Amino acid sequence: MATVTASAIPLDANLHVLDDPVEFGGCTRWLQAASGQPLAETTLALSGLHCAACSGLIEHALQRVAGVQQATVSAASERATVLWDPALTRPSALIAAVRAAGYDAVPDVAAPARALRRQAHRKALWRLFVASFAAMQVMMLATPSYVAGPGELAPDLRQLLNWGSWLITLPVMAFSAGPFFQGAWVAMRTRRIGMDVPVALGIAITFIASTGATFSPDGVFGHEVYFDSLTMFVSFLLGARYLELRARHRAAEALEGSLARLPETAWRIGPDGDATAVSLQRLRAGDLVRVPLGQAFPADGLLEEGHTRADEALLTGESEPVDKPVGAAVVAGSTNLGAPVLMRVQRVGGDTRLQAIVAMMKSASAQRPAAALLADRWAAPFLWTVLLIAAGAAAVWSFIDPTRAVWVAVAVLIVTCPCALSLAAPATLVAAASGLARRGVLLQRLDALERLARVQQVFLDKTGTLTEDHLQLRGLRLTEAGRAVFNSEDAALAHAASLGAWSSHPVAQALVSAVPAAAGLPVVWSAVEEVAGRGLKALGSDGREWRLGAAGWVTEATGAEFEDRADATDGSGGDDGADEGESRLHLACNGRLLANFQLEETLRPGTLQALQALRDDGLHLTLLTGDAPGRAQALAQRLQVTDWHAHATPEDKLAAIAQAQQAGRKVAMVGDGVNDAPVLARADVSLAMGQGALVARGQADAVITSNDLGDLVRARRTALRAVRIVRQNMLWAATYNATSIPLAVAGLLPPWAAGLGMALSSLLVIGNALRAAR
Amino acid sequence: MESLYLLIPLSAVLVLIIIAVFGWAVHRGQFEELDYEAERILTDETPPVDQRQSRISAGAEES
Amino acid sequence: MASTAVTGTQGAGPLGTGAQSADAQSTAVYTDATVRLFTLAAVVWGVVGMLVGVIIAAQLTWPELNFGISWLSYGRLRPLHTNAVIFAFGGCTLFACSYHVVQRTCQTRLFAPKLALFTFWGWQLVILAAAISLPLGYTQGKEYAELEWPIDLLIAVVWVSYAVVFFGTIGIRKVRHIYVANWFFGAFILAVALLHIVNSAAIPAGPFKSYSAYAGVQDAMIQWWYGHNAVGFFLTAGFLGMMYYFIPKQAERPIYSYRLSIVHFWALIFTYMWAGPHHLHYTALPDWVQSVGMVFSLVLLAPSWGGMINGIMTLSGAWHKLRDDPILKFLIVSLSFYGMSTFEGPMMSIKTVNALSHYTDWTVGHVHSGALGWVGLISMGSLYYLIPRLFGQKQMYSVKAIEVHFWVATVGIVLYIAAMWIAGVMQGLMWRAVNPDGTLVYSFVESVKATFPYYVVRLVGGLLYLSGMLIMAWNTVMTVRNGSPTEVRIPVPGATPAHA
Repeated sequence: MATVTASAIPLDANLHVLDDPVEFGGCTRWLQAASGQPLAETTLALSGLHCAACSGLIEHALQRVAGVQQATVSAASERATVLWDPALTRPSALIAAVRAAGYDAVPDVAAPARALRRQAHRKALWRLFVASFAAMQVMMLATPSYVAGPGELAPDLRQLLNWGSWLITLPVMAFSAGPFFQGAWVAMRTRRIGMDVPVALGIAITFIASTGATFSPDGVFGHEVYFDSLTMFVSFLLGARYLELRARHRAAEALEGSLARLPETAWRIGPDGDATAVSLQRLRAGDLVRVPLGQAFPADGLLEEGHTRADEALLTGESEPVDKPVGAAVVAGSTNLGAPVLMRVQRVGGDTRLQAIVAMMKSASAQRPAAALLADRWAAPFLWTVLLIAAGAAAVWSFIDPTRAVWVAVAVLIVTCPCALSLAAPATLVAAASGLARRGVLLQRLDALERLARVQQVFLDKTGTLTEDHLQLRGLRLTEAGRAVFNSEDAALAHAASLGAWSSHPVAQALVSAVPAAAGLPVVWSAVEEVAGRGLKALGSDGREWRLGAAGWVTEATGAEFEDRADATDGSGGDDGADEGESRLHLACNGRLLANFQLEETLRPGTLQALQALRDDGLHLTLLTGDAPGRAQALAQRLQVTDWHAHATPEDKLAAIAQAQQAGRKVAMVGDGVNDAPVLARADVSLAMGQGALVARGQADAVITSNDLGDLVRARRTALRAVRIVRQNMLWAATYNATSIPLAVAGLLPPWAAGLGMALSSLLVIGNALRAAR
Repeated sequence: MESLYLLIPLSAVLVLIIIAVFGWAVHRGQFEELDYEAERILTDETPPVDQRQSRISAGAEES
Repeated sequence: MASTAVTGTQGAGPLGTGAQSADAQSTAVYTDATVRLFTLAAVVWGVVGMLVGVIIAAQLTWPELNFGISWLSYGRLRPLHTNAVIFAFGGCTLFACSYHVVQRTCQTRLFAPKLALFTFWGWQLVILAAAISLPLGYTQGKEYAELEWPIDLLIAVVWVSYAVVFFGTIGIRKVRHIYVANWFFGAFILAVALLHIVNSAAIPAGPFKSYSAYAGVQDAMIQWWYGHNAVGFFLTAGFLGMMYYFIPKQAERPIYSYRLSIVHFWALIFTYMWAGPHHLHYTALPDWVQSVGMVFSLVLLAPSWGGMINGIMTLSGAWHKLRDDPILKFLIVSLSFYGMSTFEGPMMSIKTVNALSHYTDWTVGHVHSGALGWVGLISMGSLYYLIPRLFGQKQMYSVKAIEVHFWVATVGIVLYIAAMWIAGVMQGLMWRAVNPDGTLVYSFVESVKATFPYYVVRLVGGLLYLSGMLIMAWNTVMTVRNGSPTEVRIPVPGATPAHA
C-alpha cells in the first residue's frame, strides 16, 4: 500500500492553483480594513525552520511582498499568519516568497479546526483558573472559622468572612461551573441521567444552602457555610476536564500534521491539447486529464490513452497492482504506477467510489451501538439514593429537632457530592491515554478504552495492516543453465536486481531491496524496455538479450517448457499466482531460463506474536480482506488464523461486523485503508494504522502511529488495567460515601470535615488513577 | 478586629480584578507558545536590519 | 557574549522597503537616559544606605557612638538605614531595571519619557526628604513607612507616574507577548501603590505630624499587612522580575521552565496577602488571626521555591559558566539566599518557633539574609550587567574587581547572619530560662552583655559588605569615565505594530 502523495511537479508549475479561491478558502479568513476594502488573513504551515532566527527571516520575507500588511510567524507551531490585500497580491506569491527565503510553506487547511481547539482551550483554562484561584481565597477566608476556638470569633466577624467567601464564589458559580449546569440541563431534556446531574445538583444545593446561612444565620439553612468545599470541588472537576481536553487536542494535532500539503491538482488537457494545472475541485465529468507517473487518479473515469498499473490497495485491499489497459476503469484515489496516461473523467467529488465509501462510513457510525459509560450508569441510582437519604434524614430530624432538619439534609447532599465518583473514570482514562500516547497509540476518543477492555472478537484487515507495503524475497532457485552462468545465487540475485531497478513495479523493487549492500559490480544495461504486463528486457554488456518477468514471456524466444507452473507476475493479477499466495519472477537470457525468484508479502514485524497474544487473551480473530483468496488463505495459514474472508468489499466487511454484533459480541476492527473506513465506524472499537488512509485515521477511535501490532496488545492490556482502576476508584468513592452519610445524618459532620474528606478522597482517586499511565 | 472590615472586602474586590486580568491574558494568547517566548529575549538583541547587513558582508551568522 | 547592537552617533537611514512607521514614535532608539540616572543613583544610595547600616551596627555594639547628638542617635538612624537600603538603593535599582527590561522586551521606547524623568527626580526628592526628616525625628512610627505625610503624598504622586510610564509602555508594545518579568514588575507596582495608600492613611496635625487613620491592634494588623506585603512585592516580586530577565541574558540560556515561571507568578501573588499576621504572634492580635498567618506563611514556601529552582536550573548544562563569570555568581548565589530565606521565614512563622525568635536578633538575621543575600546580590549582578551596556562598553572596567566584590560580600553575609543566628537563639533561650521557683534566670542586661561579641562579628560582616559596595562604586566610576552614554537601536519587527 503506497501512500498517496503529490508527485514532484516542478516548483512553480502548479503554485498558481493556490490562487483559486476554492483552494485557499479553507485556510483564509476575510476581514475588512478600516478603509472598507477586503483583506485576507491566510495561515500557512511552514517547514524548514531550524533555529530561533528563522521565524524572523520568514516574517521579513513575507513583509517585503507588496500587498502584505502584516506577517506573524509562530516558531513553536511552525505557522505563518499573513494579512494581505487581494487587490495587490496572491497566495502563490506568499509561498514563493517563503521559498525564496529558503523555507517551504503549504496552505494550512487545519487552521479552522485548530482555531476552534484554541478557543476551547482558552475558555477551559480560564474557567479552571477562576475556580482554583477563588478556591484558594475562599479557603483563606474559611480558615479562621476552623482554627478559632469556640467564642473566639465574633459573630459579626464570622458574617464578614462568610460574606467575602460568598462574593468570591459567585464567579465560580456563574462562570466556572457552567459546563456542569449545561450538561445537566441537556441530560434532563434527553432523559439520560449522566454524571453531570448529581454534580450540578450538589453544587446548586450547596451554594443555596451556604448563601442562606450567610445572609440569615438563624434561618432554616443553619449557620454553616460550605463555600470552600464547593469551590474546591469545582476546581478538581475542572482540572480533570482540562487534562482530558489537552489529551484529546494533542492527539488531534498529531494527526492533523499530515493534512498539510499543497492543494491537489490535476493536469487538464484543453481543446488545444495544452495541459493546465487546475484545482481538483474544478474537474467536471467529460474532462480529459493527464495523470503522471506516481500521482493519484484525481477522479473516477476511463483510461483513454496509455497502459499502466494502478495501486488500489487503499480502496479495495488488493495488494497487487491492477493492470489498466486502454478503456479500463480507474478509481479516484488509486495511484498510477506504470506510466503517464490520459483519462476521461466520469465522476468527480462526491460521486466517486472514494466518496461513496466515505458516505457509507458516516452512516455506519450513526448506527453504532450505543455504549454507556460505567460512571454514567451509576449516576441515576446514586442520585436517587442520595435524595432519598437526605429526605429521610430531614423527615427524622423534623421530629427530633426541627431547626436542624434542613441543615442535616443539606449536609448529606454536600458530603455525598460525587467528586470521587465523577473523577474516578476521567482521571484514569486520561492517565491511561497519555501513557499510551507516549508509546505510540493516539486515542481520539477516551471512552474507547472502556470498550476496548470488553472486546471479544477482533477483525483484522490484511494489506497494510498485517502486512507491509512491499514484497520480500522468499526463495531463489537456479536452473541447471543458471548454475552454469552464475557462481552463486547471490550473483544471480544481484544481476537480476540490477535489471529490476529499471522498473517501479513492486515485484521488481522487492528484488532490488533483497540485494545486500555490498553486492557485486553493477551491470550495465542498454536498450532497456518495460513491457506492460510481462516484464523487463534489455541488452547486457555481452550483447545478449536478458529478460526478467513473467514465465512464458521470458522464455518466448526458445518456447521452452519448464518444471514450474506458469504463474502470474507483472501485474496481470491472475489467479494462479494468487492462489499460491506468492509472486514469481523469472530471469532468462536469450530465452534460456536461468533463475526463479519467489516473493511473498512481508508481515509487519511482531505480527505473529501479537496475534498469538490476542488469542491467548481469549479473543476470537477474523481476517477480513479485499485481496484475492489465495493470498488471504496463505497469510491466514502463516498467522494461524482460521476465520478469514477474502475479496471482501466494504459492504461485505460491514455485513460481517454487523453479523457479529447482532450475535451479541463486542467487536474491534483494525484497518488502514479507505475501504476499512465504514467498518471502523461501525465497530465497537476501531484502530487504524499510522500509515493508513486519512479517512481511516480520522474515523478510528485510536491510531497506532508506531505501526506495531504489539501496541494493539499493549493498548488492550492498558485498557483492562484502566477499567480495573476505575472500579477501584468507584469502590473507594462508594466506601467514602457510605461512611460519611451516617455521620451527616447524625448531624455530626462539620464543614471542615466535609471539605477535608472530599479533598482527600479526590486526591486518593487521582493518585490511583495515575497508575494507569504506566 | 475591625481592620478586617477593610481588608476582606478589599481582597474580595482584588480577587475579582485579578480573575479579570487573567481572563484578558488568556484570551490574548499570553499563555501560548511559551517555549518560543522564553527564547525571544535572547535573540532580539540583534535587529533584523543588522542581521541582513552582516549576512551580506560577513556571511550567514545564524545560530 | 553577544554585544548589543550599539551604534555610534550616526545611525543608518530608514530601514527596509516594506516597513512603515504608522505612529508618532518613529525614532528608533530606546530611552535609556532615565535608566542611566537611576543606575548611578542606585550605586550611590547603596553606599550611603550601607554606610548608615554600619554606623548603627557600631552604635549597637558601642552605644557611646550615639555621641548624645539626637540626630545621630540609633533610634533615628535606624529608619534612615532601612529606608535608604530598601527604597533608595532597592527602589532606584527597581526603577532602573524595570524601565530597561520593559523597553527591551516590548521593543519600544518608554511611554512618556519626560514623566519617567520626573519619577527619577521625584524619587530623589523623596530620598532627600527622608534623609533630612528622619534624623530630625519626624516619623509616623510605622516600620518601613516612617516618612511623614507630605513625603507620603510625594511618594504617591511619583508612584502613580511610575505606573503610568510602565503600563503605558506595555500598552504601546510591539511584541504581542508580555514577558514574564513584566508581570512581576506590574504586580509589584500595583501592589505597592495599594499598600502604600491604605497603610499611610493618616490625619495630618501639622506640616510634619500626623496620626494614623487606624488605632491600636487594628493599626498593627494593617501595618503588618503592609509590612509583609512590602517584603513580598517590593523586595520579592520586583526583584524576581529582574531575576527572570537578567539571569537568562547573562547565562545566554532561556529560563529553565517558562511555564513554571508563569505558574510561579500566579501562585505567589495570591498567597502573599494573608501572611502578614506572622509578625504579630503572641501579641494582642486574636489567636485565630495569628494562626491564619502561620498557615499561609507555610503555604508560601512552595511558590517561592518554585521560582528559585526555575532560576538556578537555567544554568543546567552550563554550570561551568559559574566558574568564570562573577556576574553569574552574583545572580545565582542570590537565588540560593532567596531559597534559604523563604525557608527560614515560614519556619519562623510557626508559633512555637516564633515564641523563641520573636524580638531577638534571629529576626534581624533573617531579614539580612534576605536583604544582603537575595536583594543585594541580585541587584549588584543586574547593575553590573546594565552599567557597561548603558555606557557603550562590553563589560565593567575591571572584571576582577567584580569577582573580589562577590567574595567580599559573600563572606560578609555569612559572618553577619551566622552572628545573628547565634545571638538570636541565645537571646531567646536566655529570656525564657526560668528557675524552678518561676523567677527568670537571667536579667535582660545579662543577655545584652552576652550578645556583645556577636555584634562585633556582625559589624565586621557589615563592614565587609560595605567595602564590596565601595569596590562597586569605584568600578562604576571607572567604567563611566571610560565609556560614554550610547543609544541603542530598537529592532524593527515589521510594518504595523501588534497591539494588545
